Amino acid sequence: MLQILVYGAVISAIYAMLSVGFTLIFGVARILNLAHGSFYALGAYAAYFLTSVAGLPLLPSAVLAVLFVAGFGVAMERFLVRPLRKSQLAVLMITLAVSLAVEQALLITFGSEYRNVPSFVADKVTVVGVDISGQRLLALVVSVLVLLGLWLFIQRTRLGAAILAISQDPEAARYMGIPTDRIFSTVMAISAGTAALAGVLVAPFLTVQPSMGLLPMVKAFAIVIVGGLGSIPGSIVASLMLGYSETIVAYLISSSWTELVSLVAIVVTLIIRPAGLFGRRAAF
Amino acid sequence: MMRFIKPFIMPAVALAAWGTALPASAQDKGPIRIGVPTAIQLQIGRDTQTGVRMAIDEINAKGGVLGRKLEMVVADETENPEQGIAAIKKLTADEKVDVMIGGYTSGVTLAQLPHIARSKTIYMEVGAASPAITQRVKSDYDNYKYIFRSFPINAAHQARGLVDFISGMLKDEMKIQNIAIVGENAKWVQDLVPILKKGATEAGANVKLSEFFDTSTSDFSPLLAKVKDSGAQYLIVILSHASSDIFVKQWYDARFPIPIGGIDVKGQDQDFFSRVGGKAISETVGNFAVRAPLTAKTLPFWDAFVKAAGTAPVYTGVGGYDAVHIYAEAVERAKSLEPDAVIKELEKTDYTGVAGKMVFDETHDVKAGPGFVNLLFAQWQADGKREVVWPKQIATGKMIPPPWMQVQ
Repeated sequence: MLQILVYGAVISAIYAMLSVGFTLIFGVARILNLAHGSFYALGAYAAYFLTSVAGLPLLPSAVLAVLFVAGFGVAMERFLVRPLRKSQLAVLMITLAVSLAVEQALLITFGSEYRNVPSFVADKVTVVGVDISGQRLLALVVSVLVLLGLWLFIQRTRLGAAILAISQDPEAARYMGIPTDRIFSTVMAISAGTAALAGVLVAPFLTVQPSMGLLPMVKAFAIVIVGGLGSIPGSIVASLMLGYSETIVAYLISSSWTELVSLVAIVVTLIIRPAGLFGRRAAF
Repeated sequence: MMRFIKPFIMPAVALAAWGTALPASAQDKGPIRIGVPTAIQLQIGRDTQTGVRMAIDEINAKGGVLGRKLEMVVADETENPEQGIAAIKKLTADEKVDVMIGGYTSGVTLAQLPHIARSKTIYMEVGAASPAITQRVKSDYDNYKYIFRSFPINAAHQARGLVDFISGMLKDEMKIQNIAIVGENAKWVQDLVPILKKGATEAGANVKLSEFFDTSTSDFSPLLAKVKDSGAQYLIVILSHASSDIFVKQWYDARFPIPIGGIDVKGQDQDFFSRVGGKAISETVGNFAVRAPLTAKTLPFWDAFVKAAGTAPVYTGVGGYDAVHIYAEAVERAKSLEPDAVIKELEKTDYTGVAGKMVFDETHDVKAGPGFVNLLFAQWQADGKREVVWPKQIATGKMIPPPWMQVQ
């Protein structure tokens, strides 16, 4: 039981970090960003490249990787998404195109083989009687801190207030003199950066491979549908639900059933409550 | 009348003559084309090509086959059945190859079989292990006689190799009774595990747990926890398409108190140890060929391969190399490229390859066991060195426990 508690927490935290960025950019800029998984993959690959090929130490590599992906996200928003923002369908298409392009670029540059990123923490830790690798615990702690920081940022700073204002009423916010375009760039940087950080943190105990962004993308999508598109508390609650249900299924039934959980969750949510747990309106 | 028709007849006759003459002349002078359908992005696929190319170069240096040179045409079949079928169509319909040598994923090969049969082109499998592939030869010989598997030994033979390791190494040498088996949910593993379980039980081991997991699984902690709770003393893994890298890393990071070994296809890669940051230490991996004097050809081939590719071969490199030689010798004996004649000669194959003596059984599957090709167990040891630990006759080193289980 304790194992489920500890391992479920790790998975939920990573899911939360992935889905919060995804829901944030939708809530604020109405961008349904299908390239979100690419940020995750790019983060992991950047960390691999900087540590293994360029030979940098791990910590600076991780920071550089996150900054690089945040920059990539901002550039994507500025040059590809912004000109098309009038049409949600066009935005959907262009982000899908970016995600495919990133995957192919990674495949051509690095090949389809698995790559390794060294662990930040190599030791094994025992928490409430459960053995867990230090790297997983680190992923949990960092995710919680980042989410807490993000919450404080949105609640307590001027920029945060502006982000909230736009998500509530973009039109009114613009009349108040809030520079929407600049806010979108900031939110995109946060969204891409958190996804990249998730990629960097899990790369040591998962692996680095060109199509690694797909499954997390599907998971983030599922979580956001369950939690309600655009709702940050909704994503966090849904992450916990999904993370724990997957862990419980893996322990009590079989690991071969875990991937079904998120798909069932989507279907059930869409049937019972299409707006999601905390959604203000139906997403579609 | 004739005056009008004649100008039309002459070219028509010439055209007809040219039409019949062309294939004959092409057959006399053109090279024999060897199609290689494989997953070219993986080391499996790169090594297939290197192995095939080495054999082609050797044969061409001696003047070719029936006076004709050999040449290689590659098609990417990936790990996806649709791409696999497209690769077969490209090689047979567009490239018109004389033989195909390749394969990796059993599911892909099974999907390709009807297309291979329809093209009436000889196909030599060197990558996939499902026994179902060659079962077709038995059940429908006329249509599927074109299919041969020269490498690796099939999943049932592998299971028997593993049982031999369990009874000889684990039970007799290490006094281990309780084992757990985990394998990816794939065709060849579903074929292998029941045989393995039965064999291990008959050999006197207790199979405490046997479980499948999805090939896309990225978190093995629940699975490992179950294995730990089962009371097993040794964990047998059966992996190929799933991420061995993730599995081994999580096993090491948790300092999992049970040693692992078994069939781990990606764990056969030369760069596996460095790829997982050394975390494969003490994993014992069943290989189809290792650098040991298995036959007179093993060491020369191995060193030439390392020279050509810059890295040691995985099994498809060995398989590709031997398959070209086996095919070339069959064509020499048949004195023709006619599939039916070549098949008759291939069935009589008795060839000493890199990994052992190669003989086909009645389903066109390569035979396994003493005297033939065997499963060889090599353990990853300090600094990424590999020591053969089983079978005992060719062992090069002693089995070591995981570093965290070392008795001080």
